[in-house]
Amino acid sequence: MDLSPGSSFPDLDLPDHTGRPRTLSELAAGDPVALVTLRGWWCPKEQRYMRELVRLQDEFEVAYARIVVVSVDAPEVQSAFRAGLGARFTFLSDAERRWLPRLGLAETTDTTHEPYLPAGFTLFPDLTIHAAYNGYWYLGRATMEELRRDMRDISRSVREDWAL
Amino acid sequence: MSGGACVFFDGRRLSTAPPGRELTLDGRCLAGEPVRGAYAHVCALADPDAALRFDEPEVQGARRDAMAWWVPLLGDSLVCISTFALDPSRFAGAVTVARDPSAFRDDPFARLFPGTVVETDLFSEVAPPAGPVVERYAGVPWPGGRFGASADTQSE
Repeated sequence: MDLSPGSSFPDLDLPDHTGRPRTLSELAAGDPVALVTLRGWWCPKEQRYMRELVRLQDEFEVAYARIVVVSVDAPEVQSAFRAGLGARFTFLSDAERRWLPRLGLAETTDTTHEPYLPAGFTLFPDLTIHAAYNGYWYLGRATMEELRRDMRDISRSVREDWAL
Repeated sequence: MSGGACVFFDGRRLSTAPPGRELTLDGRCLAGEPVRGAYAHVCALADPDAALRFDEPEVQGARRDAMAWWVPLLGDSLVCISTFALDPSRFAGAVTVARDPSAFRDDPFARLFPGTVVETDLFSEVAPPAGPVVERYAGVPWPGGRFGASADTQSE
């Protein structure tokens, strides 16, 4: 599957952290999206990165921009992780690994958890990929400043009244 | 108010017609198949002067709490949730509709206006808000509304 900029990200259909079925397009709801895939709650790197995202949510919640996180953790585990972080965005659970192989985002060096490769995608509201980040090495992940920049670029492109 | 629908609250009963105070909520809450035998926690007053501004920090705080833990706490019991708007800037409270009323004592919107439990067949199931956005779209009561379909398409 082509997940490079300009391609369409698939409309994932997965349960959220409460177990409700969701689609990615429903969660985008007409807004730009920062989509992040995580190894899982157990990984110290993910815990560190998620704390950064939680700080960023204070800006996104007033900027009409969305954050969606995908991992192989079960919904109840995601719900506890989310609550502990103080996150107010949605987690999607691919515990059955329905989407992981189709996306080609398997973290092949972890044969214990079979998790997602840490990655990030910034998406237009119609799920067109604006930018992609490979976070196998921590420093490959999108910084908060890069996410802000991407959200600004997308918003400038899709908000007809941007220049008012 | 585009994207909204009206209910009337007289302090004890909710209905879609007078008598009572007219309150605008997310129109999706009344648009689908009604859930029979549900309970609405109406955090609002019938007094027409009982209002706050949507932008008050305590109102924003209640919306953040709804995203963070109120909706997850309700789980499968949740039918729908909406704030009440009087006009594009004034907030008159909120309603949470659930199949089981036992968690209503924790409703974050009850910090703003006292809650009344009302048995109701009016409301339909709406997927809970995705977050983290807590702002409103063109004056539609949170969490309703969205920007236009034209905004979905990349323009460059």
